[in-house]
Amino acid sequence: MTAGLETRELTKAFGGVVAVDHATVSFRHGKVNALIGPNGSGKTTFFNCVTGMIRPDSGTASYRGKDITRTAPHRVAAAGIGRSFQLCRIFPRMTVMENLLAAVRPQGIGALLRRSGGAADVERARGWLHRVGIDHLEAAEARDLSYGQQKLLELAGVLMAEPETIMLDEPAGGVNPALIDRIAALVRELNAEGRTFIVVEHNMELVMSLSDHVVVFDRGRPIAEGPPADVQSDPAVLEAYLGV
Amino acid sequence: MTGTLLFQSLVLGVLLGGLYALLAAGLTLYFGVMRVVMIAHSAFLVLAAYLAWDFNQRTGLDPLVSLVVTVPLFFLAGVGMQRLLIARLRPATVTMMSVLLTFAVALTIEGLLGFVYSGTQRRIQLPYSGASIDFFGARIAVVKLIAFGLAALALLGLFLVLTRTRFGQALRATIQHPQAAQLLGIDTNRIAGFGFGLGLATAAIGGTALALDSTIFPSLHWHWIGPLMAIIVVGGLGSVPGAAIAAMLLGIMQSLLQLPMGTTWAQTVFYLALFATLMIRPQGFFGGRLAQRF
Amino acid sequence: MRSASRWVALAVGVALVLAFPLVSPNAYILSAAVVILHYAVLSTSWNVVGGFTGYISLGHAAYFGLGAYGTALLITRAGVPSFLALGLAGLVVAVLAVPIGIAALRVRGASFVIVSIALVLILLLVFQSWREVTGGSDGLVVPRPFPELLRPQHHLVFFYLFAALLALVLLAWWTIDRSRFGMGLKAIREDEDKAQALGVPTFAYKLAAFVLSATFTALGGGMYALWFGDLDPVFQFSILIGSYMVLMALLGGVRHLFGPVLGALVVGVALEFFKQQYGDTQFHLVATGLLLGVVVLFMPDGVIPAVRGLLARRGPQQSSIREVSAAELQKERVP
Repeated sequence: MTAGLETRELTKAFGGVVAVDHATVSFRHGKVNALIGPNGSGKTTFFNCVTGMIRPDSGTASYRGKDITRTAPHRVAAAGIGRSFQLCRIFPRMTVMENLLAAVRPQGIGALLRRSGGAADVERARGWLHRVGIDHLEAAEARDLSYGQQKLLELAGVLMAEPETIMLDEPAGGVNPALIDRIAALVRELNAEGRTFIVVEHNMELVMSLSDHVVVFDRGRPIAEGPPADVQSDPAVLEAYLGV
Repeated sequence: MTGTLLFQSLVLGVLLGGLYALLAAGLTLYFGVMRVVMIAHSAFLVLAAYLAWDFNQRTGLDPLVSLVVTVPLFFLAGVGMQRLLIARLRPATVTMMSVLLTFAVALTIEGLLGFVYSGTQRRIQLPYSGASIDFFGARIAVVKLIAFGLAALALLGLFLVLTRTRFGQALRATIQHPQAAQLLGIDTNRIAGFGFGLGLATAAIGGTALALDSTIFPSLHWHWIGPLMAIIVVGGLGSVPGAAIAAMLLGIMQSLLQLPMGTTWAQTVFYLALFATLMIRPQGFFGGRLAQRF
Repeated sequence: MRSASRWVALAVGVALVLAFPLVSPNAYILSAAVVILHYAVLSTSWNVVGGFTGYISLGHAAYFGLGAYGTALLITRAGVPSFLALGLAGLVVAVLAVPIGIAALRVRGASFVIVSIALVLILLLVFQSWREVTGGSDGLVVPRPFPELLRPQHHLVFFYLFAALLALVLLAWWTIDRSRFGMGLKAIREDEDKAQALGVPTFAYKLAAFVLSATFTALGGGMYALWFGDLDPVFQFSILIGSYMVLMALLGGVRHLFGPVLGALVVGVALEFFKQQYGDTQFHLVATGLLLGVVVLFMPDGVIPAVRGLLARRGPQQSSIREVSAAELQKERVP
């Protein structure tokens, strides 16, 4: 099994509150991983520590054997990890197409100053917009889209950067059932093409149907992991969720 | 450099720090309730100083009496400013746009002062203007003592209002967690307006204190806004005690540095502190961690 | 079609600018035109960082002053030829802007504005106090680059020099606007964290834009020094100059190539008018303050979009994208 995203003793405290507490996790590379846990169990903080949005206090994170602890977010992205945000974040006053073009990573001064929206980039962007199903909205301003469409746009933007591992923070949050099915189908398809997923999600039905591997967080650390069926019956998980 | 001189500078630094602390507390209030960086604070300070001077010119009464008018007036102006100007800005851009808006207010006030009172430097002459008292060998001007006393009283009053009254509790709740405050049935908009009013009232008191022992001119506010901004950044935005501590420390440092460096160069201490804070600890040394993102 | 009409409009605009000195009735009008062109250079330079990244600097007068004093001091102290001094001063400011940018760009939003104001105030302090070098409040006389020219010719030459500089800055802004670099900068303006998560090296991008903007502003300052010939810290490191740049850019519209130029034209003419009518009173301060307040409150995107919005509202109603696409959404596009 190839090493994918792994953390060792990762810790982050805000003031006196320890949000992530010596978390040692290794996700299955090439699979759909789910990260679940009660509200406030530190899932989003964990995401932010791994992707460089927040500096962890101690511990390490590595991706495919390369240390990415305290690496700037854009370098984490360049290493092949893309992410979405809990409350869908897009560039509201750019068009849908521009939202995708902003994720193009040019190398060198010449490429930087070349015109944005070259034929190859636009072609690739249209491909992703078509995949998520909003290619007809290409010229619309992103803020005029519905919430569901914005979620799809965010996903297309993440994909435009061609990450091999994609971290999704609550992809089904605030989204209607039809769209949830669509996002799930997309995740399965992309996974079949070789992309790894790490998904934070509260919708258990979705988690159970979608994921190959589930990690359960409670109070900032993993308390159980394994295939969905095993985790579901784990007494520690039931206790964490139900407070038994 | 003698010990007495040093001691005298120290005392003067404390007196100056008191005024800084009062004004910085006002700035902190605006930032706390509305996430607004109020560039016009020191313009209102100078406006109050002019009103005190004008009052003294016209009536011959002590400028301190003008507080009876200026404090309520400024409070109302603050409430009005929040309601009519700040509240109109889009929430997403309120911090950035409010800087520009209050900057515009500052320019307007400066311009109007120049228009009405001309650019001439003004100074209040009082029977006790030249008087000073001996304080353990240090000669301290009486006007500076009065200014400090005024600032200290106002700060104490502000502290009591914030901690002992229902309004103060609502205000602090609004500062700490506006959504939660709303759930508790607090009308945060109203409270924000009152917070703004209180902030401007500190400028009224500060301005009168300033008029007692300073020469005033319309563009004077630029000399104040820099140090005050430095103080609230060093103090950690949104923290009243942090701002007060930073104000005292920087006031004392400025006063002590005047001995070897002269008055002009001593002012650079504020800017050095500002840049040092940003390099080392952008969230400020004494307070919240809002600084970087606000 | 549309692009053709644009080229025509551009050609007409350029021709009008180039022909202006020929129709200008007197030296005063010409000098006022030079002032307005210099404002246009400054606010367009400001817009390289302010417009693209949304980092609003109220202290760009710092680079204006440094460019002006740098040019003047290189000429008077080191005997460097005028225009070489201008270039060198631009280079010096570019180098200085790197550490300044690294410090200032660490903070966002209002903190950044505070820092930018502090920078002007501190430089004003230094240049006033450091009399031995800068001449302090006594001012600093800059030798004219073309001593043989009479006043009207002097204005004429600088009219074209400023116009050339403006063309250069506009070209730079236009190039960035359509480039991938520009797209990254705009992403920063929209949502900096998101941009970084998508792989945009935000800090490097911001710094590059900042240094470029400071350098252009410094060139504007240096050119001003050569034209005006007399510097005083109070006017060069003036908060007011910095706020003019912001006001002009916002008024015209920071998202448009010619927005700041339009703003410079409106505000510049108004300022000249106020100075003519009201002389040395502080009325221009009041006018600037009120105008800035109106722009911030009622048209934060500038007059160009505001006017377009008005026109669109009078024209045929556009149907909402949201409604259309909600229906589209039902059509299950993903298998």
